[in-house]
Amino acid sequence: MKKQTLVILSVLMVFAFVLAACGPTATEPTEEMVETEEVVTSEIDCMGAQAGDEINMLYQWSGGEEENLNNILRPFVEACGVVINPESTRDQALLDTRVQAGTPPDITFWNVTQLTQYQDSLIPMTDLGVHEENYADYWKSIGTVDGVWLGLPVKADPKTLVWYSPAEFSAAGYDVPTTWDELDALVEQMVADGVVPWSLGMESGDATGWTGTDFIQDIMLVQQGPEYVMGIIDGTIPYNDPGVKAAWETYGKWAMSDMYTVGGAAGTVSIGFNDAILKVFSTPPEAMMVKQSGFAGGTVLETYADLVFGEGYGFFGVPGAQGLQGGSDWMMSFSDSDAVKALVAYLSSNLGGETWAQVGFDLTPNMGGASAYTDPALLKKAEILANATGFTPDIGDSIPGGFGSAEFAGITEYVNGGDLDSILDNLAEVQAEALAQ
Amino acid sequence: MAKPRVSAVMKQGKLTPWLYLLPALIVMSFFIVYPMINTVALSFQNKDSTASAATTCRDTGPCWGIFENYRYALTAELDTTSLQSTWQSFWTSSYGNTLKWIAFMVSGTVILGLLIAVLVDRVKYEPLAKAIIFMPMAISFVGAGVIWKFMYSFGTGQVQIGLLNAIITGLGFDPVPFLSTVGLNTFMLIVVGVWMWTGFCMTVLSSALKSVPGELLEAARIDGASEIQVFFRIMLPIISPTVVVVITTMVINVLKLFDIVYVMTGGNFNTQVIANRMYTEMYKNFQTGRGTAIAVILILAIVPFIFMNIKRFMAQEAMR
Repeated sequence: MKKQTLVILSVLMVFAFVLAACGPTATEPTEEMVETEEVVTSEIDCMGAQAGDEINMLYQWSGGEEENLNNILRPFVEACGVVINPESTRDQALLDTRVQAGTPPDITFWNVTQLTQYQDSLIPMTDLGVHEENYADYWKSIGTVDGVWLGLPVKADPKTLVWYSPAEFSAAGYDVPTTWDELDALVEQMVADGVVPWSLGMESGDATGWTGTDFIQDIMLVQQGPEYVMGIIDGTIPYNDPGVKAAWETYGKWAMSDMYTVGGAAGTVSIGFNDAILKVFSTPPEAMMVKQSGFAGGTVLETYADLVFGEGYGFFGVPGAQGLQGGSDWMMSFSDSDAVKALVAYLSSNLGGETWAQVGFDLTPNMGGASAYTDPALLKKAEILANATGFTPDIGDSIPGGFGSAEFAGITEYVNGGDLDSILDNLAEVQAEALAQ
Repeated sequence: MAKPRVSAVMKQGKLTPWLYLLPALIVMSFFIVYPMINTVALSFQNKDSTASAATTCRDTGPCWGIFENYRYALTAELDTTSLQSTWQSFWTSSYGNTLKWIAFMVSGTVILGLLIAVLVDRVKYEPLAKAIIFMPMAISFVGAGVIWKFMYSFGTGQVQIGLLNAIITGLGFDPVPFLSTVGLNTFMLIVVGVWMWTGFCMTVLSSALKSVPGELLEAARIDGASEIQVFFRIMLPIISPTVVVVITTMVINVLKLFDIVYVMTGGNFNTQVIANRMYTEMYKNFQTGRGTAIAVILILAIVPFIFMNIKRFMAQEAMR
């Protein structure tokens, strides 16, 4: 018995030593941090929050994402002494239950659709001391339900991007297009030069097609604009509308011809989306451009580690797009305590935006942070975001009940030679059905 | 003779057998009976099981009332504008494809299995040959799907990583997109199924062949029967009960088939089958009502074959 106790004691002691050794280095602020803190404390308005006030917080982020958030909140916590009780879950049912039970968290970071869902329980941003001037009108209108601004957009990840090799472009004498017509002309120029402009491969197992529907949504943003896309999402525009058909045809012209894309129609449906990215950067390249979300940069570096952003690989926004497409996260508040007000004020302030940008947790819609990014790719994306006039979520993800998978199946069938009218009629049917339920 | 005294404990009342069965009954009702009843109940409700399926009917279009999910399950894939288009769309629907699977995979595995069983019976390296044929059975469906996806891979680049297309382009032809060519692709998937399951059929049929009495075969040969006659007139009739069991087992297997299609094409390019469609409705579209309706249809399609298997089994037991 005695021996066992001794063993346990010694194990505990070892742990204690290890912890003691780790502790200080982990919390020791870096020099950079100290500097920002000094500036910070004076700038942060605590809105009357007392040290020790608590904010209960629920969000979907974990791991590195959660660390990013902590880094963003650190100056605020240190300046006001507010205690944050965070909880991380991907389970929306948990949030739903708490809201229904009347015990919601003070703050949650969730998706835009929850603004409408929790409409009656949320505190308007304008009552919480938000710095309105830092947000473009379209962000405010996305966050507004029935005339009341309920959600603060904190994070955005636009995917309306075209990846290319700047080195190949300059070698061939191509300029980055700034309008859709220029893009169209560039594509034709490439075909005339005997190079393949696009790498549109979209194979992705049972989700084959998403790369294509992303592209089509971008084309709609060019040809019709963000309101049109939102109209499809809320059902006021049926999916067999002529504008939708025009976008599909624009895409189809490229996706089904081996002059415009690697492997023609068969290549589009059979080439994996990751391979499709790499084809633009192989030696010699099989294609000049690939339309893909932000993750493509990582995919390129995994295979071609020596490429440098802006030289070996880079991206430009889909030219002529009247708005962007992508994911966004929203802060919404169920409480109007002083601590919550202080947090809203901090995150919407210039300083909050700058901190968000410096940490580099995707993009912040807060214009205060527009030029504070340190990562060149984020800086470029922020530039695209700053020029945008709208932001739309993915159509397929936003319509419930099977529209997404029907859309994937539809585009796969179309590229593989299916009849476009009947595909779109079928999708309009699914759309109407899903939104009626 | 005095009546032997049996203590009251040893006497079986009417209740005792049920007590022995109780654990099994509890497990069965929890894991089989209850889910089955619940599945049927859910199939008459809407997508989140909050209202009757009849409420999902829309003003436009046909409506089968409470059987609305069954209407969707049975007719949604069909293009009913004309008789011809209905017929054509049926053969590219999940039902038509499942019929193709049954016809070609079952006949493929049974015929190949039987052929190999008969042939290896005559060679010295029988165990080795059988082990090789049986080996794919040890691979999971998903693994096999991935392997064959590489076999069929359609490359556009300088290098073909798919074996088949490497051979085809090596001979100077253009590469073939096996998995996205409508009409061809379902058969390419069936090849994978046959590759996996031939070993199973071979093993069972081979053991049945071993039980054919040698004297019978010898007598036939002495009487001048050709080897083909021996096979069709003597071997096949004797092992026919086993063949029937293998066929029904394979049909049930094929009706449930999901993994190969899910991994290799995801049901795209007109390769959808019933089980994969059930999965799509259930777990991708979150349409519980529709998913369970397809599940019920699948159960109804399987029941006759299970019934045949059990009947055959009972007949065999009775013969013993």
